[in-house]
Amino acid sequence: MTDISYLLLVMLVMTVATYATRLAPFMLFSRGQERPLINFIAKNTPPMVMTILVIYMLKGVNYSSFEGVYTFIALLVTIVFHLYRRNALLSIIAGTAVYMVAVQM
Amino acid sequence: MIRSVIKTTLPILFGFLPLGIAFGILFQELGYPWYFATLMGICVYAGAAQFMAVGMLGAGVGLFEIAISTFFLNSRHLFYGLALLNSFGAWGLRKFYLIFGLTDETYALMTTITVPKEFNRERYYFLITLFSQSYWVLGCSIGALASSSLDFNTEGMDFAATALFTVLLIEQWLKVRKPLLFVVAFGSSCITLILFFQHMLLAAIVLSITTIIVLRFIKSKKND
Repeated sequence: MTDISYLLLVMLVMTVATYATRLAPFMLFSRGQERPLINFIAKNTPPMVMTILVIYMLKGVNYSSFEGVYTFIALLVTIVFHLYRRNALLSIIAGTAVYMVAVQM
Repeated sequence: MIRSVIKTTLPILFGFLPLGIAFGILFQELGYPWYFATLMGICVYAGAAQFMAVGMLGAGVGLFEIAISTFFLNSRHLFYGLALLNSFGAWGLRKFYLIFGLTDETYALMTTITVPKEFNRERYYFLITLFSQSYWVLGCSIGALASSSLDFNTEGMDFAATALFTVLLIEQWLKVRKPLLFVVAFGSSCITLILFFQHMLLAAIVLSITTIIVLRFIKSKKND
């Protein structure tokens, strides 16, 4: 097997495996069907997943270095901007800009 | 509609572009032509899995193992789909693409934002998905193509993903107002961080969903 055909096969396998994880729920449960448990899960997962995603993003930060301080400040800026102005884009740009300036200094 | 979608997905641009560039640079070290990084962004379109693939390609890992690893790494999508079962309209090419393009970021956006009244929801979601993938493909290509000659310092730009999820978390909090859900998610995250650290994402999602199902079951038993 040549290198390129190995790469192409890997990509094919990964495409199928990834699409399977995305497609499965839509194949298993049809639209509009009354399924109390599924509806319960569907309604309550977004807030939980959002909480988990934030923690997941913050888990790699080295908190005993400046990186931890910068992350804390940038996060604070994002939150304060968002509570004060409620403009998602503005909050994200402000927080990211503060973080970029801090780590590149 | 396009202007509104660009504004909505701009945070995803800030997140995907530097991450895509990082992938492209890493991929380039394997020695394949740059356009395979583009192709991977188009076909596979999964950040974490693509990074994992670079390591596995370098080591020449078998296809079966790659398939299984990819499936488990991405299996959190199973739960994302559940929350969007009724959001993607009737079956057709557009729906297949909307499902194909489901990522952490687009899921987070779609379950939190309210589509402006004047726009068709499925079309709006379609454009969100299309634009987001374009940013990713663009990033992968730039990284692989210009890995040595990039002069814009994107260091720290990936904080945009953290900021995006934080903003969406605040929005969820203001919208949902069920403290228990956030407490359960936080607790699940702490437990799975200790147990799995690197692979806490899926474990935390499974644990938190299991917990609220058990809590609901206990509550309904009490009411009987």
